[in-house]
Amino acid sequence: MSSANLIRIALGAYLLIFFSYLLGPLVVMSLTAFNSSSFPTVSPWACFSYEWFDVLFNDKHIRDGIYYSIVIGIGTVILSVSMGLAASIVLTQVWPKLRSTYYTMIIAPILIPGVVLGISTLVFWDRAGAFLGATDGSFLHGLFHNGIFLTILGQSSFIASYAMLVFVARLQRFDTGLTEAALDLGATHTQAFRKILLPFMRPAIASASVLAFLASFENYNTTTFTIIDYKTLTTVLAQKVRLGINPSISSLAFIIIVLTIFAALAFEAANRNKERKLAVRKGKASAEKSGVLPGFMTGNPAAIVLVLLAFVVIVLVGTAQKYSPEACKIQVREAKQVEIQQRIKELREARRIKDEARAAEEAKQPAQAPANAPQNSGAFGNVFAPGNLSEEEAPASDPAPSSGTGAFGNVFDPNNLNSE
Amino acid sequence: MSSGVAVDLENITIRFGDFTAVKDANVNINGGDFFSFLGPSGCGKTTILRAVSGFLEPSEGRVLIGGNDMAGIGPNKRPTALIFQNLALFPLMKVWENIAFSMEVAGASAAERRKRADELLDMIALGGQGDKLPSELSGGQKQRVAIARALCANPDVLLLDEPLSALDLKLRQHMRTELREIQQRVGITFIYITHDQGEALTMSDNVAVMKAGVIDQIDTGHNIYDDPATPFVASFVGENNVFRGKVKSVSGNEAVITTNRSGDLLTRITPAQVGKLAVGDDAMMFIRPEALELAPRDADSKTTISANVINEEFEGNSFSVFLEGDGGKQIKMSVPNLGQDRISVRGENLSLRYDASNAVTMPAGELASE
Amino acid sequence: MKKKMIFSDFFKNNGVVMGCLLIGLVSFWLIFLIILPQLSMLDYSFRFNLPPAEVGGPKDVYTLSNYQHLIYGSDTTHQTYNTVDLKVFVRTIIAAMLVTIFNIFLCYPLAYFLGQSKGSGFVRLLVVLLIIPYWINEILRAFALRIIFGDSGLLNEALMFLHLTSEPIDFIRQDIALYAGLGYAYILLMLFPMYNVIESLDRNQIEAARDMGASWMRIHRRIVIPHAKPGIVSGATMVFMLSAGALAAPQILGGPSSLWFTQLVYQWFNDSLNWQQGAAYAIVLLASTIIIVLTVMKIFKVNMGDIGK
Ligand SMILES: Nc1ncnc2c1ncn2[C@@H]1O[C@H](COP(=O)(O)OP(=O)(O)OP(=O)(O)O)[C@@H](O)[C@H]1O
Ligand SMILES: [Mg+2]
Repeated sequence: MSSANLIRIALGAYLLIFFSYLLGPLVVMSLTAFNSSSFPTVSPWACFSYEWFDVLFNDKHIRDGIYYSIVIGIGTVILSVSMGLAASIVLTQVWPKLRSTYYTMIIAPILIPGVVLGISTLVFWDRAGAFLGATDGSFLHGLFHNGIFLTILGQSSFIASYAMLVFVARLQRFDTGLTEAALDLGATHTQAFRKILLPFMRPAIASASVLAFLASFENYNTTTFTIIDYKTLTTVLAQKVRLGINPSISSLAFIIIVLTIFAALAFEAANRNKERKLAVRKGKASAEKSGVLPGFMTGNPAAIVLVLLAFVVIVLVGTAQKYSPEACKIQVREAKQVEIQQRIKELREARRIKDEARAAEEAKQPAQAPANAPQNSGAFGNVFAPGNLSEEEAPASDPAPSSGTGAFGNVFDPNNLNSE
Repeated sequence: MSSGVAVDLENITIRFGDFTAVKDANVNINGGDFFSFLGPSGCGKTTILRAVSGFLEPSEGRVLIGGNDMAGIGPNKRPTALIFQNLALFPLMKVWENIAFSMEVAGASAAERRKRADELLDMIALGGQGDKLPSELSGGQKQRVAIARALCANPDVLLLDEPLSALDLKLRQHMRTELREIQQRVGITFIYITHDQGEALTMSDNVAVMKAGVIDQIDTGHNIYDDPATPFVASFVGENNVFRGKVKSVSGNEAVITTNRSGDLLTRITPAQVGKLAVGDDAMMFIRPEALELAPRDADSKTTISANVINEEFEGNSFSVFLEGDGGKQIKMSVPNLGQDRISVRGENLSLRYDASNAVTMPAGELASE
Repeated sequence: MKKKMIFSDFFKNNGVVMGCLLIGLVSFWLIFLIILPQLSMLDYSFRFNLPPAEVGGPKDVYTLSNYQHLIYGSDTTHQTYNTVDLKVFVRTIIAAMLVTIFNIFLCYPLAYFLGQSKGSGFVRLLVVLLIIPYWINEILRAFALRIIFGDSGLLNEALMFLHLTSEPIDFIRQDIALYAGLGYAYILLMLFPMYNVIESLDRNQIEAARDMGASWMRIHRRIVIPHAKPGIVSGATMVFMLSAGALAAPQILGGPSSLWFTQLVYQWFNDSLNWQQGAAYAIVLLASTIIIVLTVMKIFKVNMGDIGK
């Protein structure tokens, strides 16, 4: 019995470690969104604040990024879902000897590194333009060097494979006799497709579309090459993160996480509800309702959590509205000011003591001061990373007034925090 | 309603790669007939039907519907409607939408469609159930919806691919009658596929019996039962006792066969094979269980067989007596139940007699496997 | 003759309009989005980086110089090796393999646990919890780790608080953050394929083996792992390819001195504007990763059809 207990404890510990590894960083990141400290952190908790959400909502780059991400996402969904659907239908009909070759070809894009897909798309359309004799300023040249056009193509090249997988799974359960029945009753092939196959595929099309949109929305590797002079949310974020991190990104992450949880719970609740209905219909479960909860919630923890979560978010948003942001900000700033002054005082004090000590021991330990310096630079983030140095538009994106506070704060913060 | 259109298959051969599924089939179906294809599983019945409905082109030969060559005409352009082996009702459409689908694709208005669907629903005794989904119907109801859906297209020829095979025995028997009634009411040509001989014999004007892609015989159910053209048909349709032997003498449509066990026996040559048997040929003689009876003492030895009883079964309206037959096969005799306690005892040697007109003979050939 | 028949069958089954639409979409995808782009990248990698005016001119000839650059650097005499880039390449491949192996070991127990304890509410909760990070942006996940591993990040704070270290550890410079981030980024792509195959394993098989006295280790070695092999290889393939081809995590979590091979590609493209050189590097990355994956698939006798299930 004790060995069984041991296994249980080991399993519990393992689950704990696994899920902390998986979720811990997200939780910490979400918390930093509410800390007024201008560097994303939780441990010196300055003040509970919503200001980073304001910063986020006022960030033009992010808003533009979201806009283009959505535009590209829609384009990618349309293109990749139709290509994936066509490919899966052809797969069911392709000559058996060709099938495995064909399957390898349509599944391959999943395995090609996104970077490679991005580059090859970029190179090919550039070449195609040259081949067609498109000159600078002509329509074709413009199109083939348009970031949105190229990104949709680049992303669709592999997202179509994901969509195809979804469709293949559903098509396996399609009875081709239904299409034949429709043809037999006088339908044209197009009508049979529209009225029989398409309705059958609708759930798969819906999930493939969601999948394709999300995959497009969060794609970075391919997009960063094909987007050229546009920006999507991910490329904006990547640039921001590489230039120095600030909590408005945490607040964006928090919003995305909450939305994801919502979607996941809603999906789970819907699933449960469907299952329950099925069970009731089959007479396996009694159809009785518990008196307190509405029908769809009985025996459906996901639905209950969903409702609770909705409630929490409403409260949160509600307080954020009432939490007179101005007053709060002033308060926060004052507190911060005081704190900084305090820190500076302390610093000065410390420096004074250090200086004195150093003066005393100057000859013995000359290397101590430089040894501290590189540590600080590490906290600046990748500002000195080679990739960033050569980033030409980097300075241009920074002076946006809203995100300015964040970037500015960065310079101070590490000092604040390090002077422990 | 259209009044039935003839369907002719001329020298149809259908191949899948190297495999020949149907070989040189010639069938003439009269307009308004109820015509059945009967044969064991995998013999090519569905394949023939798919060639008629246009889902596949025959590799050789022609399909004529109402005298018109159908080559190159797609299934959606042929005046046929097919009821599929698994019915193929559209699961996401309501019953009435299913029924009126052919009008929908032809562009009829919803009101028109609904009206026609309701008429057909009444005809199949499902009035008022049009708003259900197919999954909410019973097996027999689905069956009738499939028929209504096919009829709604106003086909000249209705093709039915074992539509009753999924139903239980009771319902199957009920639906047989109903199908036949519907056919007589609408008067169009029905081409019916089945491997159930009872179905074929009760419903059809004419039956084609198929074996491994070849049509062995086309005739009325009665003739197929009484005058089978080949050993396959004789053994496939109904129960039959086979006796192997050599032809001893032939005169007109009568012949004497020397059998291995029971000596010389007098038989009738099946009409299709008259003139094709010569003295010394291998032959097969078939006698149905109900054509055998206990022989009186003075019975003619040319129409009596003696064999040992293996066992006896009581079947309600009759007794089945099983006796040792040729080559390990059993002979079965059916004796009507007239209040006897039993017919025989195990091991007893019985003499059985038959009427020479009930014993049909033909050249030896392949039997249907049980 | 036969081909013609296949085509006519295809149009017969789908009608001319639908048939053309299907063929058109699939060929657009295969030809214009996959095959031709890859070919033109290959072609590009064998060309000189010329100013636009000279493209198509006499100087525009095929060359191996872009590939030679990876091996010898700018040394045209081919005496010394391009140790910097080669090191990056080798490091990328090996680290991606290590990340893959780490993920296999980390995910297998959970996949087994989830796959074999069907239906309970707790397990469903765990699955929902797994799906959530799956849909969070790669960049944001890297960012989250950055918050934790930063100089003044949570981990350093905690370590210092516990007096385990007196000065912050530079996780970033030491690449610890990068490896943690790569392991983190694609972990679910390892978990889900494994989970799917293990879920399809009949519990009775395990019970039968246990009944026959098989040890816990043996049950896994002889029954569960062979059954889960396609899922494991499929997951490993995806994780390896994605890790080797990762760009965001190295950019955000990588130390300033150590690069990932994709970052070199990125630099050739975006910083040096030498597409030809970048294409050559990309080809090297693609070819080597594909060779490795195919070799592994061959060794473990898994075929392409198992990928993506
Ligand atoms: N598309 C096809 N490709 C290759 N062979 C086929 C194809 N369709 C049918 N066959 C073969 O042709 C033969 C006849 O098939 P068919 O479906 O006509 O049989 P059936 O008489 O309808 O049988 P059942 O009573 O079981 O429905 C079978 O041996 C089958 O394997
Ligand atoms: Mg059939």
